Formats: sequence, C-alpha cells, structure tokens
Amino acid sequence: MSNRKRTAIALGVGAAVVVAGAFVWAWPTFDISRSDVADDETRLADFTSQDEDAIARGEYVMRLGDCMACHEENFGGGYTVSTPFGGIVASNISPDIDSGIGNMTERDFFNALRHGRGSKGLLYPAMPYTEYTKLTDRDMHDLWAYMSTIEPVDNAIDEIADLGFPYNIRLAMAGWNVLFFDNEGFDEHPDQDEQWNRGRYIVNGPGHCATCHTSRNFLGGPKDGEYLSGGGLDIWFAPDITSNPHTGIGSTSTQELVEYLKTGANSTSFATGPMAEAIEHSTQYFTDDDLEAVASYLKATAPSSNVRHEPMTLNNEGPKSGALAYEVNCSACHGVAGEGMANIVPAFEGNNALLADDPTNLIHVMLMGGRAAHTQARPTGAGMPSFAWKMNDEEIATVLDHVRNSWGNGAAPVSVERVAELRSQLAARDKLATPQDEAHTD
Amino acid sequence: MKMNRREALRSLGALTASVTVAPYLGANEVKGFPQGTVLDEEFVPTPSHTGGLQVLNNDAHRRTLAAVFDRFIPADELGPSATQAGCIEFLDAQLAGPWGEGATMYRDTPLQPHAEELTQLPQFIATPRERYETGLEALNKWVSDNEDAEFADLAPERQDEILTGMEQGDIDLGQGVHTKAFFEMMLLSVREGYFSDPIYGGNRDMAGWKMIGFPGARYDYRLYADRTGEKLDLIPVSLIPQD
Repeated sequence: MSNRKRTAIALGVGAAVVVAGAFVWAWPTFDISRSDVADDETRLADFTSQDEDAIARGEYVMRLGDCMACHEENFGGGYTVSTPFGGIVASNISPDIDSGIGNMTERDFFNALRHGRGSKGLLYPAMPYTEYTKLTDRDMHDLWAYMSTIEPVDNAIDEIADLGFPYNIRLAMAGWNVLFFDNEGFDEHPDQDEQWNRGRYIVNGPGHCATCHTSRNFLGGPKDGEYLSGGGLDIWFAPDITSNPHTGIGSTSTQELVEYLKTGANSTSFATGPMAEAIEHSTQYFTDDDLEAVASYLKATAPSSNVRHEPMTLNNEGPKSGALAYEVNCSACHGVAGEGMANIVPAFEGNNALLADDPTNLIHVMLMGGRAAHTQARPTGAGMPSFAWKMNDEEIATVLDHVRNSWGNGAAPVSVERVAELRSQLAARDKLATPQDEAHTD
Repeated sequence: MKMNRREALRSLGALTASVTVAPYLGANEVKGFPQGTVLDEEFVPTPSHTGGLQVLNNDAHRRTLAAVFDRFIPADELGPSATQAGCIEFLDAQLAGPWGEGATMYRDTPLQPHAEELTQLPQFIATPRERYETGLEALNKWVSDNEDAEFADLAPERQDEILTGMEQGDIDLGQGVHTKAFFEMMLLSVREGYFSDPIYGGNRDMAGWKMIGFPGARYDYRLYADRTGEKLDLIPVSLIPQD
C-alpha cells in the first residue's frame, strides 16, 4: 500500500468520523419521531372532524398561535413578512388541495408546525416553527380538528418569490436549524407552579413572543442572552418584556399587563403596529387565566441587561425647545405633564415602552401617525395624527428627547439620522416648505 | 297584533339586554375605519409660492403699492414696516390664487341696479387681481397729473393727504375705479399680510404677532385659561415652525 493511498484512507476515515460526529451532534435538530403520534393516512381535504369540543379547543389554539396574523382571516395566506433577506409570503393553509394544505396528513401538519418541514421543502423561520415546536400533542390534535372545518380557499402563493439567491434555497434552512432551532417539545418545570408553567408554555410556544421581542443576529437567529429583551423589526421595535423595571414590564402590575393584552390598552400604554394586530387577532381571545399566566410568567423572567439612563439635560426655553414643541403639538392629548388620558391617550410619565434605546416606534408614529388596537373591549381604535408635514427630522428628534427625558423619564438621545432614515423608509412626506425658509437663506 | 303594556315593557327589556350584553357575546367587530392616520394631502395647508412674484410684476405699480403699504404700517419702535414684514409677497400670492381670481365672488352680469344700496357694500364684476391692476394704474395716473414726483417719492405727509383723500372720497381716481373701495381693499390686504401665519408670505418672523402678543397656531390654552389679566408673553408659534 502506497503512502499516498494510506493517507487518502486516513483522510477518508477522518472525514467519515467528522460527518458522523456532525450527524450525531445535529441529529436532535432533525429528529421528528415525536410527531409519529399523528396519523399519516388521511389527507386534510378528506377529513372533517365531528368532535365539537376538539374543534373549539383547536380554534383557541389557533388564537394562541395567532395564525391569522400572517395567514389572514380565511387562512388563504398572502401576508408578506419582511425580513432583512427579503419578503416571505405566508402560505395558504386552508384545506384547498391545489393551493392550500389539503394534501397534508396530520403527520405532515405536525412536521410542518413543529419541525419546519413543509410540503415544498424546509420552512423559513419567518414561520415560528421554532416556537410552535413546543406545542403539545393534544393542542396539535385539536388544531388539526379545527383546521378540518376551514373552508378551502383557492389562492396559489409563491412564498419565496421575493427572496434572491442564496436565500431562496430552502435546504439552507437545514444549516440554520442546526445553529438556531431547538427541536424540543415543552417540558414542565415541576419546581414551578402550574400558572408559571402555563405562562411559559404560551409565551415560548404558541404565543411565539420571542419571535419579535428577542433581538436577532445577522443570520436571523435569536441572540443569546437577549431573550425577550426587545427586538428591532425594521420599521417597528418590539420592546423589552422581561422583568426589567426600567425598560421592561417589571414595574407594570400583572393586572395592567392582563388589561393590555385583553383590550389593547391600559392606563399608561396603547398597542399599535404589529402588537395591535397580535392583540386584535390573538391575545384578546385568551382566557383571563391564560392572560394572568402569561403576565405572571413575564414578570418572573430574568431582567434584561438594558440599563436605566440618566435624564438628558434639556433646553426648555425658547422657540426651538422640545418643551415648546411638546406644549404646542402634544400636550392637548398627552397632557401638560405627560399624564395622557386614561383609556384614550397614552401617558408618557412612567411609560417604559418609551425608554428603549431604540426609539423606532416613537419616530414611526410621529411620521406616520398611529392607530390603537381595536378590540371588543375597546372598539374605538383611537388615532394619533402624523406630524411629518409639520416637523423636520431634527424637530421630531427634539420633541422625542423631551418626552423621553421629562417627568422622571430618562433615555438615550434620539438620533436625527434615524428619523431621516425612517422618513425615507416609510415614504413619509417632508416637512412643508414655507416662504420663511427662503427669506432666511437670502 | 295588539301588545299590552307589560309585553311592551318586557320586549323593551329584552332589547336593552341584547344591546348591553351582545358586545361580550361576540357581536360584529367594527371594521372598515381607516387604519392610516397620515394627513390627507387635501387637508395639508398650502404655504404660499416661494419662487418670486407672480402677479405684481409691474415695477411702477409695485413701487406705489409698497409706499402705500408702508404708510399704513410704517417701521417704528413697535415693529417692521408692512413691506419689511412681507406684505407685498403675501398679497402677490393671494392675487395669484383663488382669491385673486374672485373664486368665491358672484361676478356674473347683469349687475343689479341699486345693488349697492341694497347690500350697503360696493359690488364688483372685476376680480381683485383686476382691481389692483386698474386701481394702481389710476393712482399713478392721478399722481402724475397732480404732482411733480411719483407717489413713492412724495413726502410722507403728502402721501398721507392723498390716502386720506381717497379714504374720505375727496379724491376720485376716475377711470371707473371705486376709489374709496380700492383704498379699503389695500388697507385690508396690508392687515391680512401683517397678521396672517408666516407660511403665507407675510408676518415675517411673526413680527405682527409679536407686536400684538398673539400666540399663534397653538392647539390648547388650558394651561393659561385661568390666568386672566396677566401678561403671559407666550412665544408665538407658526403653523409650520421655521427650521
């Protein structure tokens, strides 16, 4: 045997060991055996559950999971989830045979939701299988029963038409899954009480809170150690919902959290943007017990590392001051001391959602206005007007610095560049040009 | 069908119950109200044109008009003159727009005889733009017929005498110009220009508002509503504050 051959064999064996090692290491990511409990014979299109209780429970699981947020109210799909890699369109999950999931068996359904394996290949984690993997067998069976009662919708969707190479290679998600997908079912912590466990199940499983509220790394995976500490969504920011008392929900009472998730608002805060959608489609339907479980679990989370900022030194005098801009533009509704109006207008005093280092939400509503969540309990959907026509980037930053650093608040300065960036990204109009601008450049 | 009072009350009770309880039993969601709150372009104010004069391009006319305006509001210790505050630019923008075209005026012939006696106001078929054109032309003609210099170069005392004559009906500019009404239109224009929001070209640096202590386009005065008889010195605010 030549030396060269021997070396080749050694290399081959070494490679095989590495591959086998990688396989063993990565195996849990790809192990779908726990979903073998589901039937693999009957297609969804050929099945309609008669179990009314299971259907009702399944509908509730659908609410917990907020399927409608992306798959639309008729489950025909079409909502585009924008990601840094391109838009991903939510698929048709109605029982339509050609364009929906009518051909899926219950096993296929389990594999898609809990393991990210769809009928067209691996799913993208824009679909939160990374969280749905925690769904219990029972909730999955119930959800399947509910899905069987949905009307088929004929709506063909190319989910990844907007994704360029290499992001349009579904198989690449295998690598992503090895890195970031924790393919494990829900495990109860016996040392914690039932309410805490239920809250943890909803938050980490169907509720998929971390999908938005945990920040993501450059590959789109959740960052280590930043669980629920707040995450950027491009044009929105999902705030810190850990027990951090400054930027999170640590100083918010369980009752206030329940009220917020049930109605879209509490005495201090209002939901708008994606959270308004989550409340309208999902959390307003939660039972009070479940809402309390979610709230008490969140209050028991480890606090994020976000720090409290000392208030900035503000210029409160003169025509360019944030104080005057606030008094003239904001105080009529938000109150002269940031007290807001209970149940109508958010307060600024003691409103932790204002204080995140990332002020995207505040800039967004200044530029585009905002609409409060409209729920059965609070059907008004009160509006905040846009100030894009009235204020330039610097004036918006100044007035936001004022609300973020008055009445006991303290936060990092708002950057004028970030306002400019969002103005362009949101296609908000520019401040109106007036004759005065010209008079002063003469 | 006849309904006795008890039945009527009972059904009323049922109706009330259905109204008050239904929202919690899954009544229809309110839908279809606009989700966006961005101000419709139609409602965004229109600041005046900033690209130079559009109507008052006749130098002789404009020179006379500026002199008239600055007799109405001269520069003094209280504030700048009318032209310094942008009243010419303000009027030019107004004359270029719907007001200059008489867009809201009834201007169809025939002009009713005795209409002015009926309404106690002069009535015009000519638009404000035309009236400024003919009025300034006639004023310049009158001055060249009666004086040795152009209106703008006369002594302020003499300018005031001419303006007073126009106001009191002692001077008739002729040429079909309603002299008194023309005087009043110029006086109204200068007031509007001096005190309107700066986004319309006049009231530059809010000089007019500072002069009289007007706080401008503020939204809410609850902070000050109780402070009667007090000098508040509120900083005036334009609808579109200057950058």
